[in-house]
Amino acid sequence: MNEIIASVNRYGALFLSGTISTLTLSFLTVLFGVIFGTMFAMMKLSKKKILNVPANIYIEIIRGTPIFLQLVLIYFGLPQIGVRFPNIDGFAFFPECMSALIALVMNSTAYVAEIIRAGITSIDKGQTEAARSLGMPENMAMKLIILPQAYKNILPALCNEFVTIIKETAIVSVVGYQDLMYAAQQVRIDTFKVFPPLLVAGAVYFVLTFTTSRLIAVLEKRWARSDA
Amino acid sequence: MHNEVLIEVNNLQKSFGENHVLKDINATIHKGEVVVIIGPSGSGKSTFLRCLNLLEMPTGGSVIFEGINITDKDCDINQHRQKMGMVFQQFNLFPHLTVMQNITLAPINVKKMKADEANELASKLLTKVGLLDRADSYPKQLSGGQKQRIAIVRALAMEPDVMLFDEPTSSLDPEMVGEVLAVMKELAAEGMTMAVVTHEMGFAREVGNRVLFMEDGVIKEEGTPEQIFKNPKDVRTKEFLNKVL
Repeated sequence: MNEIIASVNRYGALFLSGTISTLTLSFLTVLFGVIFGTMFAMMKLSKKKILNVPANIYIEIIRGTPIFLQLVLIYFGLPQIGVRFPNIDGFAFFPECMSALIALVMNSTAYVAEIIRAGITSIDKGQTEAARSLGMPENMAMKLIILPQAYKNILPALCNEFVTIIKETAIVSVVGYQDLMYAAQQVRIDTFKVFPPLLVAGAVYFVLTFTTSRLIAVLEKRWARSDA
Repeated sequence: MHNEVLIEVNNLQKSFGENHVLKDINATIHKGEVVVIIGPSGSGKSTFLRCLNLLEMPTGGSVIFEGINITDKDCDINQHRQKMGMVFQQFNLFPHLTVMQNITLAPINVKKMKADEANELASKLLTKVGLLDRADSYPKQLSGGQKQRIAIVRALAMEPDVMLFDEPTSSLDPEMVGEVLAVMKELAAEGMTMAVVTHEMGFAREVGNRVLFMEDGVIKEEGTPEQIFKNPKDVRTKEFLNKVL
């Protein structure tokens, strides 16, 4: 116990910056995941083969391969094909950050696309018909009628995706992104002690995910009430 | 009186896969006319109505609306749907919007009407159906009858040339049917052109100018309400009316 407190005292700043990095990365991942996920969901729902086939292939491949493999492929693969992120003054480890973000967004997009697709298909067909009968073109009906309802329905699922992402981001420490897991590893190497840093990191992860889930549960209850 | 043709339906066909729902339908709806479509369930009357604004795409034949063939591939149907209001059995109000927003959304976004102009029009229509005090409510706070009256107002806010009613009272509690029919009667009295699929024979008799009896994807008989209800010629029409009256 004392060792844990000592570890936090000495490396508190490192843990804190790691936690902030983890949260920032998770938030950006979900944000871009929702943007691209919406695009892929629409492509998958499209009747045009040229749109729905690529979306299907992408989603199946991403969901059918390990995220670790995807991350390493992006980190080492992008420079091989000529995509290099420059080192930026005042932004340490920019290339690592970009690789981590790209890999996570690519991964999350596939999962979020499925969530959004389910959200869209859950909206009654009569809603589209009513919108179209008023003369709305298809994309306007989607934007004004279907998506607002779909997003509201899937908000809990999206929040859960955020919780999942918080945990999954731990993997980006292997390519040198300085997240919470990376901080814990640094402290472990520095102190030759295994348990204190890892247990601290574990506790922080748990507090992050647990409070987020509780928050979702409370919000869900409130939404359910407003629907009554 | 009703001379100007508003909708002309020629050899209309609709199949869902193997299922031939509409077999060669010919009909005309004149300006200012109230056409009531009756018939047993599964006779294709709803499908026929939904073909008029292409919510169902016909598999054959043509629909001419205000002189334009809207079944033509190059026709921009969104343009013409603005002139064809539709009221659904399940109301289909937008649950995430207030009553006011439900009504003004299409005028503002589709017709590019100014917001205060649309609000004014909506208030006027809401007053007419006696629901102005519900302008800021959400659909879930309304009764079925209120929902359907709002749905009618929503369609009217686009200032359509014809109103299509797809069994507007079929999912209402009996005590709420009257308030919706009253609004429809008033609309008919004002000269609105209407096509109404319904099981309300009283409404058909009282408000309809013409009644179409459909069965098995064809119009078996058509005529004035007088003639259809008092003196049906077709044996199937007689059987149907005996069952429902």
